[in-house]
Amino acid sequence: MVYRRYAFIAVVVSVLVLVVVLVGASQVPPLTIVASMAATTLAVATPLTLGALSGVFCERSGVVNLGIEGMMLAAAFSGWFGSIYASAVLGIPPLPSLLLGVVIAVATGALLGLLLAALAVTYSVDQILAGTVINLLAVGLTGFFNRQLFFGPASAFGGQVPHAPGVLPRLHVPLLADLPVVGPVFEQQPIAVAAVVLVGLTHLVLFRTRWGLRARAVGEHPRAAATVGIDVVRVRYVNVVIGGAIAGLGGAYFTLESVPSFEPMMTNGRGFISLAAMIFGDWTPFGSWAAALVFGAAQAFQINLQLFRDQIPPSWSFLQQSSVVGLVPYLLTLLILTGVIGKTTPPAADGQPYEPEGRR
Amino acid sequence: MRDKLNRLFAPLLLPALSVFTAMVLGGVLIALAGGNPLEAYAGMLEGAFGSPRAVSETLVWATPYILAGLSVSLAFRGGLFNIGAEGQLAFGALSAAWAGHWLPRLVGGGLPAALHVPLTLLLGALAGGLWAAVPGWIKARAGGHEVISTIMLNYVALNVVSFLLNGPMKDPTAANVLSRTPLIDESARVPALVDGFRLHWGFPLALLAAALVGWVLQRTAFGFEIRTAGQSPDAARYAGVRVGRTVIVTMALSGGLAGVAGAIEVSALHHRHELGFSQGYGFDAIAIALLGKAHPGGTVLAALLFSAMRSGATRMQYLTQVPIDVISVIQALILLFVAADTLVRRIYRVRARGERLVLTRGWGG
Amino acid sequence: MLKKRRLAIAVLLALASALPACTRSKRADCASPEVFCVGLVTDMGKIDDKSFNQSAWEAIQRAQKELGATTQYIETTDPKDYPKNIGTFAEEQYDVVITSGFGLTEATHAAAEQFKGVKFIGIDQFQATQKPNVVGLIFPEDHGGFLVGALAAMMTKSGKIGGVLATDAVPPVYRFGEGFRAGARHVKPDIEISVVYHNDVGFDKTFTDPEWGKTTAVSMIDKGIDIVFGGGGKTGNGALLGAATKGVYAIGVDTDQYYTVPEAQKVLLSSAVKLITEGTFDLIKMAKEGKLPAGNFEGKSGYAPYHDLDSKVPPEVKTKMEELRRGLLDGTLKTTVPPTKDAKGQP
Repeated sequence: MVYRRYAFIAVVVSVLVLVVVLVGASQVPPLTIVASMAATTLAVATPLTLGALSGVFCERSGVVNLGIEGMMLAAAFSGWFGSIYASAVLGIPPLPSLLLGVVIAVATGALLGLLLAALAVTYSVDQILAGTVINLLAVGLTGFFNRQLFFGPASAFGGQVPHAPGVLPRLHVPLLADLPVVGPVFEQQPIAVAAVVLVGLTHLVLFRTRWGLRARAVGEHPRAAATVGIDVVRVRYVNVVIGGAIAGLGGAYFTLESVPSFEPMMTNGRGFISLAAMIFGDWTPFGSWAAALVFGAAQAFQINLQLFRDQIPPSWSFLQQSSVVGLVPYLLTLLILTGVIGKTTPPAADGQPYEPEGRR
Repeated sequence: MRDKLNRLFAPLLLPALSVFTAMVLGGVLIALAGGNPLEAYAGMLEGAFGSPRAVSETLVWATPYILAGLSVSLAFRGGLFNIGAEGQLAFGALSAAWAGHWLPRLVGGGLPAALHVPLTLLLGALAGGLWAAVPGWIKARAGGHEVISTIMLNYVALNVVSFLLNGPMKDPTAANVLSRTPLIDESARVPALVDGFRLHWGFPLALLAAALVGWVLQRTAFGFEIRTAGQSPDAARYAGVRVGRTVIVTMALSGGLAGVAGAIEVSALHHRHELGFSQGYGFDAIAIALLGKAHPGGTVLAALLFSAMRSGATRMQYLTQVPIDVISVIQALILLFVAADTLVRRIYRVRARGERLVLTRGWGG
Repeated sequence: MLKKRRLAIAVLLALASALPACTRSKRADCASPEVFCVGLVTDMGKIDDKSFNQSAWEAIQRAQKELGATTQYIETTDPKDYPKNIGTFAEEQYDVVITSGFGLTEATHAAAEQFKGVKFIGIDQFQATQKPNVVGLIFPEDHGGFLVGALAAMMTKSGKIGGVLATDAVPPVYRFGEGFRAGARHVKPDIEISVVYHNDVGFDKTFTDPEWGKTTAVSMIDKGIDIVFGGGGKTGNGALLGAATKGVYAIGVDTDQYYTVPEAQKVLLSSAVKLITEGTFDLIKMAKEGKLPAGNFEGKSGYAPYHDLDSKVPPEVKTKMEELRRGLLDGTLKTTVPPTKDAKGQP
């Protein structure tokens, strides 16, 4: 991604933080505000980062993944249910239950990734449509099973939602987390940490390994890739399943790391914002992460302004409304799409079904 | 005669088989939930068509479904995937609410219904159309894909609408605490079709719109341009079609239809714009357009099916305690089978015929 | 090939026509005077929402057990269906139709006009005009909010307390939140209070966004707030969870949240409660006896026990709380909270 856009992102984030610091400085020390906003930003950005990485994996190999939202939602539900079942019915202690939940969530994401791959690669279904199918299926199935598994006639719980085993514990980064004031920034939960690690890992895999080279070749020019002996179908399947798994981890964030409960449609459009983050980040892992952080900072901005609403002059009070600040991610993305802040270039064969020579 | 019948019904075969398969799978889910699938479906049917009131309610549901479905269908024909029907519908509803309440106060004095109603719907169409022209313009100018820009614009619309309904356009009467506009004037209301029922003139209007879309697509030069630009932009360019302009106009027309859907909901049913009423229509509209194979007549049939399901679901739950979420699952499955028609063909051993609907060509445009 | 296709169509048609012919499920005869039927229409929510819809359904289940009522529910998925869903019960001549939630106020009134023989109970629906067959079950939520606000003010060490609430557009939540503010100011005028509402999303999201509740609560705690009042469905529950992860005191809302949010038991000081289940059941019982009032019926609102933190609350605080509670009950103490946000004349 071009450095100009990183600079743009840095400016936007700084402005957001600066405004809050100026507004709240009379009540709370600036450093506390910055640390608190950073912590909120990282937490909010976690599912967005994972969703965007899922998109990067899929689209770099030429498959558009519009189903991130559905993958997250389904994974959030299945992981949550798995952890409850493990702890309440099987009597497994909380932490192993939660980890089992994460595994189930990741597997759910991978499974939906497999469905997307089957539809998009094997059946050449329009990929945007395939993603839409996954989203609608996820909404329906999670709503249905959320009722049935607890209140249905064959439920193991007999009409009671049992206590969830809680959420994943915070990891204590030695030394850094002990610092005064900024300490909380380094005390994150495992999925938030994993998201950051995965950003680097995805970068390495895509740009430093043979597999990554092949995947990108498939995403740019499948025919040419096939002529040098790359199995296009296999590459796409593997990448989409990995992408699904990462989206599944993003789903686990909602019910196993953030809050120990599931709500129908609780992902609330995060999958689509992830997609925007990926495009904003020009299909690169670090770019997507930076975009996810801007979107997270926008939300931190709004929450913090609400806390300091007594300090804001009435004529500016509209800024504390989430319907105003909530526009930031979408407007920024639209701006990118119009090509004003540098051009974005998707992989050339993104979204196109692959039909080998001679078939058809 | 037989040939004629075949030609008439053959295109219905695959969608019908898709619906059938989805209902069978839905039946399995219902059985899992401890219900009797046949009883549940009978309940749904009764809820949808069992009485004059049920039919009226079903058609009330069908009205926005037909218009929003047509919106998506028209875009499909032009090679565009309009995921933004929801936002366009919301803006159509918003401007209808404005036209219904504030416009008469702006011009000072009441308007006759013969003028006020058309004006309200027209402004709805205009708002939806302008909103949809934006992604068209982005695509024509910079190649930004309409799928992502319409999704983004949906969220922008949601936020803008919520801002307006909580602020400038909120019903100012002291008793009101909800995020909604004042009631629109009597003169701006689309009247009921039959006294005592909620079914309104919006329904025949939606059917008329379907006929109009069919006529434009099949019989006019502009419809030809839309279709050529949709099937092959390069060929269209050679044929002298200004593809960029066609993309913008197609999106605007598509958005206009969604805008009318929203305007009718306000003008005929709710009589005001209330936060959140438009949610979910966008994706339902995509499913309806696909089930209807992006054909106006097919879209009407698909919209009737979906509205019967949504409307009948209440009675199904009332009679059999089968959770209402089953409907969403069945609708998603229908979409799955319509999308992956290879699957359905394999199950029922039906051979492929006719050309495939080409929808999108990746992000590049 | 052609034959096969025709076969497929034939099978399809046969199945389609067989559908309506199958057996009808048996229905209770609500029209007969011996059968007492109670139906619930929920507001854009499910009967297992751990919130007002669930409380209403629990009251109806109790009526089934104790009064032998025939019961049924319909879950609303789109506001467009309010009239249809209420009508479904009314047309079957249910004796009592309960509509839960503020959003159904107008639809309930319209139905009462149309079905004069049916009694309607509207939960959280203030009756501005009286109809003979409608009773609105309302609660003085500002009392509960006032009491826990005072408690928070007396228990805070940092002198900063916060409230994370779903929305001020819904009067009950508004009264909880502003009651909290008033109560805290009453016992400690110089206290720093931030009350945040999750206003500006659609009504279907305001109450079901635990993640927002948690993030907001944590952000408050980062800035020195040491007691968090979380209110408004699952959004409020999220705030309690945020307090639990940060180890500061939390105060719940609606029901005794010691039981509904077990993850927060260790930090839950109390809850501002309104007794929906009890109030609804009382009204159903009155309806069965033919003594259902019209207009508004006021239920009870107060505060829940301290549970695990009982030993942490000093005796003088407990005495003061009881004193305030009595004062509110006998009217010597006023919360000064207007019934709705706009009644105050604020934007």
